[in-house]
Amino acid sequence: MARVYVSSVINAPAAKVWARIRDFNGLPNWVPPVAESRIENGEPADKVGCVRAFSLRNGDRLREQLLGLSDFDMFCTYSILDSPMPLTSYVATVRLTPITDQERTFIEWSAEFDCTPDKEQELIDGIGTNVFMSGIDTLKRAFGG
Amino acid sequence: MPRVIRSTIIDAPVDRLWAVLRDFNGHDKYHPIVAESAIERGYAADKVSCVRRFTLQDGSELREQLLSLSDLEMSMSYCLLETPIPLFNYVAHVRLLPVTDGNRSFWQWEGRFTTPAGREQELADVVGNDVYAAGMEAVRSLPELQMEGA
Repeated sequence: MARVYVSSVINAPAAKVWARIRDFNGLPNWVPPVAESRIENGEPADKVGCVRAFSLRNGDRLREQLLGLSDFDMFCTYSILDSPMPLTSYVATVRLTPITDQERTFIEWSAEFDCTPDKEQELIDGIGTNVFMSGIDTLKRAFGG
Repeated sequence: MPRVIRSTIIDAPVDRLWAVLRDFNGHDKYHPIVAESAIERGYAADKVSCVRRFTLQDGSELREQLLSLSDLEMSMSYCLLETPIPLFNYVAHVRLLPVTDGNRSFWQWEGRFTTPAGREQELADVVGNDVYAAGMEAVRSLPELQMEGA
């Protein structure tokens, strides 16, 4: 099982950052490779079990299902249902934790999945850099550093 | 039951910060309120269930027991056994997480306890400010945690 883990600090209170993250249909607003997204069957984006169908700027299409969402602990867990990537059993979590000394936010984005050994490092780097870190960098800019 | 949480970012790699914090007998080397500390019965400081007996700068004496220690999770828990301060059922948790963006560390220190009615806020402030936040600031300036070349 391969694991990706990316974490950073955002200069805004966790509640403000969470308002952006908790929108399961909001990837186009903060994850640069994502072009457009919709929730299938007209369900609300915070209904656990809902599916987001989204496309990347390169034309790839993905479907992901919301497995868990907590406004109390500020985490969101989801799985990939369909994607062009050569991986299976993909489950990812975004989690926010307040940093009490300066009203900042500690953000963690992690994923676990199965793949063949020859694809593992490429997938870890691609997901960690192009998706997770690029999304976090957008949030850092949006909240001033 | 009051719950106190303090967290911060330390500009040092997480393995170096953990090397400092995992020493259950090391707080007298950095914490401004701790005068002297020793592990009872000659046990190793990373033996789960060992007890540290320490004195504060004001002379008061406390005993705390190590409840858990994980080098994998970089976390530890301990409880107060004896204290002149009215903190009862006190259990504290320390955990570290890597900040991969910049090779820094996230450090959270959390405690829960009961107190005589009416003293919750006062004692929560003592624990959160005088123990946790003051300890974090002292650790932050330890020479072994300064970035090389900084």
